[in-house]
Amino acid sequence: MSMPLLEVKDLTVTLSRQDRQIMALDNVSFSIKPGEVLGIVGESGAGKSITGAAIINLLVPPLRRTSGIITLAGERLDTLSPRALRSVRGGRIGFVFQDPMTSLNPVITIGRQLIDTIRTHLRLGRDQARRKAIDWLDRVGLPNPDLTLDRYPHQLSGGMRQRVVIALALCADPVLLIADEPTTALDVSVQAHILQLLRDLHRESGTSMLLITHDLGVIAKMADTVAVFYAGRVAEISPVKELFTRPRHPYTEGLIRATPALTAAGEIQLNPIAGAMPGLGALPNGCGFNPRCPKAQDDCRTIVPPLTQQDLSAFACFHPLERSLVQ
Amino acid sequence: MLTYTASRIGQTIIVLLIISFIAFLLVANLGDPLSALLSADATVAERAALIKQLGLEQPMLSRFASFLTNFLQGDLGTSYRTQEPVAKLIVERLPATVELAFVSLIFTIFVGIPAGIFCGVNPKSPISRGIMLFSITGITLPNFVVGIALIAVFSVQLAILPSFGRGETVSLGFWSTGLLTVSGWQAIILPAITLSTFQITFIIRMLRTQLMEVGQSEHIRFARARGVPETTIWFHYAVKNTLLPVITMLGLQLGNIIAFSVVTENVFAWPGLGSLFLQSIQAADIPVIAIYLIFVGAVFMIINLAVELSYPLIDPRVLRRK
Repeated sequence: MSMPLLEVKDLTVTLSRQDRQIMALDNVSFSIKPGEVLGIVGESGAGKSITGAAIINLLVPPLRRTSGIITLAGERLDTLSPRALRSVRGGRIGFVFQDPMTSLNPVITIGRQLIDTIRTHLRLGRDQARRKAIDWLDRVGLPNPDLTLDRYPHQLSGGMRQRVVIALALCADPVLLIADEPTTALDVSVQAHILQLLRDLHRESGTSMLLITHDLGVIAKMADTVAVFYAGRVAEISPVKELFTRPRHPYTEGLIRATPALTAAGEIQLNPIAGAMPGLGALPNGCGFNPRCPKAQDDCRTIVPPLTQQDLSAFACFHPLERSLVQ
Repeated sequence: MLTYTASRIGQTIIVLLIISFIAFLLVANLGDPLSALLSADATVAERAALIKQLGLEQPMLSRFASFLTNFLQGDLGTSYRTQEPVAKLIVERLPATVELAFVSLIFTIFVGIPAGIFCGVNPKSPISRGIMLFSITGITLPNFVVGIALIAVFSVQLAILPSFGRGETVSLGFWSTGLLTVSGWQAIILPAITLSTFQITFIIRMLRTQLMEVGQSEHIRFARARGVPETTIWFHYAVKNTLLPVITMLGLQLGNIIAFSVVTENVFAWPGLGSLFLQSIQAADIPVIAIYLIFVGAVFMIINLAVELSYPLIDPRVLRRK
């Protein structure tokens, strides 16, 4: 097995609230191989976005990384000086934000934002950077890239803006792209285009990707490997096929079953998981999922199950499912 | 852009017309020009002749029209108090006021903007807290207190700067300037500081609040995620987002300084428009007061026009809001 490109080990993020320390991420570990797409899926508040931000130390106080080791191609990221971290951000790790309506600076031209980013990381003259910027706008599928360079974000549609955001994230040729809900804020019709674009760019450049989403449909289309997050912990990590055919964690199964499906009789079937995810700082003892879990037993209510590897999957459950969802 | 410019200029002209009409009503209805111009024993015939000569029997609108025509030809009427043309009085006093306003604006920009940016970028540093403490003081203290305190320290105690007047002036044709002589500069420092104290503190507080807000926004966070240097982020990306309100306020403040420096001019016996206005009020010198009102209106409108025309250069989104 090749060396992982990104390795996250025992990442813990806390939220300081007056005298209390609330755990937002609890000993999260995963890795991404070169060229791999790792999808992180979970409900809102499960810690998906926090994980993405923590990797490049972009957490907004009062969130703070308290422990954990993060390595990119063997180099520690968690101990970098601010200066060295700056060259990683945007240089070796690109970041796509969720909402293209707010993530572009409204009073700076698209060209200027691109050229500034390119010249921060690559030793290029003004003209070369400009050409590269035009090239990137072309690659992300914007019509008239040389005209778009002089435009302001408000002159573009939401989908076009997200293409600009993707160009901004990739323009310095990073080895890893973190995409935090890249399609959530977009119209359904535009979502498919943006996903297709991300997949094409990933294939062309071989960039690894960390794709954060709450949408299992997106995961099925894009990811090689999936990490399921629940209440700040990893519930399960599996290859995508394995996850959908043979989920091991009861939460994963619940998540898959909660996706609306058409029955043979033509009715829409919804099987939501009973209850709600506990809020930060209100975690029960033991496994965070135990109050909602149909298989929970006494051990689940006292001990936090460790992540264990079995066959192709790793899961944090004492009583994993054995059956396959496909007959 | 063209329609934007045209509509702003059109609005400005309309407002100026309204202001001059109000000023005209003031001249026409306040005080009695006949009693001011006729001797006590004038006959009825003399009185009728004067009414005819001044056109007072004409209807209101045609009188306003001739007032405007005279105004545009540079005939601004005659002062009751000095019997001199109002235009001459204004032109004599204008340079002093404009130079004072200009110098205090320079102080405001070169002290207020850097300090405001510093406080917005490092809101928690001890220096910022110090600046904010100073600015609270500056906002609370009335102008005349600041002026008197400065005179007490620099003119009375230390005796290094004059407490009144403009110093030596040099005449450049129609404009007499104090900015070409050492004594002129010495004289302008204290009143300019007095005038700019409030403006500086105001700009600091405003920039700080704006920058702290913009600093939280997603596009700044995204710029950080791309590794853009902090200096670019703050001085270009963030500051440009705060410029609209800041320039609007600076424009209004400049108008305020030119129009309402009455108190400061009085404290420093500064021979500008403010003290002319004060003297005219005391003498009920209606023609001067009316012209002064039009002048103030024009100053505000022109500055405001300049500010509005600069908006599209800062934030292209204003052209879209129709």
